[in-house]
Amino acid sequence: MGSSSESSDSPEREPTMKRTGFLFDRRYLLHETGGFHPEAPERLTAIYQGIEEGGLLPSLTPVQATPADLRWIETVHPRSYIDRFNDACIQGKKMLDTPDNQICAESYSTALLAVGGILNTVRMIMEDSIDNAFCAVRPPGHHAEVSEAMGFCYFNNVAIAARYLQQEWGIQKVGIIDFDVHHGNGTQHIFEKDPSVCYYSIHEHPSFAFPGTGRVFEKGSAEGTGFTHNHPILPGEGDDEYRKIVTSQMVPAIDAFEPEFLLTSTGFDAHCDDDMSGIQLSTEFFTWIMQQIVALAQRHTKGRVVSVLEGGYCLKRLPELARNHVSVLLNA
Amino acid sequence: MFVSRSMTRKLITITAEEGLFAARDAMRGNGIRHLPVVDAEGKLLGMITDRDIRSALPTEWIRQPLSESKMEQLEALRVKDIMSTELFTITPNYTIQDALLLIEEKKVGALPVVDEQGYLKGILSVRDLLRAFINVLGIGQPGTLLCILVEEKVGQLKRIVDAITEENISFGSILVAHYWEEEKRAVFPYLLTMNVSRIKKKLEGMGFELLDPMKWYLDQLPKNE
Repeated sequence: MGSSSESSDSPEREPTMKRTGFLFDRRYLLHETGGFHPEAPERLTAIYQGIEEGGLLPSLTPVQATPADLRWIETVHPRSYIDRFNDACIQGKKMLDTPDNQICAESYSTALLAVGGILNTVRMIMEDSIDNAFCAVRPPGHHAEVSEAMGFCYFNNVAIAARYLQQEWGIQKVGIIDFDVHHGNGTQHIFEKDPSVCYYSIHEHPSFAFPGTGRVFEKGSAEGTGFTHNHPILPGEGDDEYRKIVTSQMVPAIDAFEPEFLLTSTGFDAHCDDDMSGIQLSTEFFTWIMQQIVALAQRHTKGRVVSVLEGGYCLKRLPELARNHVSVLLNA
Repeated sequence: MFVSRSMTRKLITITAEEGLFAARDAMRGNGIRHLPVVDAEGKLLGMITDRDIRSALPTEWIRQPLSESKMEQLEALRVKDIMSTELFTITPNYTIQDALLLIEEKKVGALPVVDEQGYLKGILSVRDLLRAFINVLGIGQPGTLLCILVEEKVGQLKRIVDAITEENISFGSILVAHYWEEEKRAVFPYLLTMNVSRIKKKLEGMGFELLDPMKWYLDQLPKNE
């Protein structure tokens, strides 16, 4: 797929490899969440180091982070919320909406850069200068509601990317697969009435884990009924249960939807060494699930898949997890 | 936790002289299963439920059209003929706990709420109770459940609450339940945060045992066989 001559940025890439974009920017470290907060800048440093030390950087096409045009953010969040977030940062407030959402002066501009970088990534794929991509951004997005910050999230990155795909690039059907250990309440609520976006989430059971939504009977509403899928997994479960659900439920659901573009809310926090959850997945599982997702992309979206970072807090494991994740995209 | 805060005030009622089919239509049209029967002044006379109506209808009704004479007979049936008049009523200043125990004991689906003069003020159904308890459990808000095993002695809960409060974490609810081991209690704080790894470590550092929720959810409570 794709000729290597188009991407001079990645001279080391084997000709058989995919043109995989990698979004990372040092400015993503500027969103500080105060001491002892798990959603810390070190997460991204660990991810970058893992990819760098794995020798993968030369094979990847760098994607630039630029601040998002507000009109794209406004496809999901009202101006009043965007302004409230900006004002809170300017006024030196320490949190937005909940104590989970710590902010600093740079949080708003960092969030704009996260969205902008993801939209740049999507654009490069639609312009056929890359095939797929991993967006290592902060802050994450899938808990962000239309007008409310929640669960370390401010702007709903994947939701905005989906709207951008539809409105700027004429993509009709977007599939979003969310394998962060927490349910993406924001993403679900934004699209629950919308049959053009299929949201599939597999996560720790909401009776035990944040945010308390994503129960199996939440299947969307009105015209969107049947386009929201939730698979709660009980704490203590691991690879076997996840593999069973992915194979028997997730893959057929996405196959049936036939998306034209795939986005993933990529969270590494269901790893057994991550203390944010009771789910016990192995490092190998994360490689496996991404292989299933790129296979779905080959079948339906011409390989177009953008992975957007959500959670994942175990600094010891993030390097290998990110390295393996990117390898799957390169070797799709 | 008073009934007045949780009861349904927008009432659908019926009078005793109306027909059985009018009662059925009022229930169907409003998605309800209990109709208070009131007089012209709004005093409660009885209750009619969807089950009362189903019991009054002949079983062949479902399979075939009824004969004209049978239909006439049914159409002549008034609400007063089939309503219950032995009522379990509560007043607005009953607590939710009173209502919960009464509904469980009397095996009814709803309780009419009347004032001291017998005027109907509201109705409290099992669904209203469920809503109240969702609120009490805090599970309508985003949060994380912890399970902590403590020895049954004075001051344990205080230590837990203090530790959580020091972390600036809000409580959605906190439940205390009997554990299968004597002299132990299981404490379930529902915390309105995603950020629980630090407080978990802190509690463990204080000597508390954090339980695997799968080994102990509420399944160990006495079962109703």
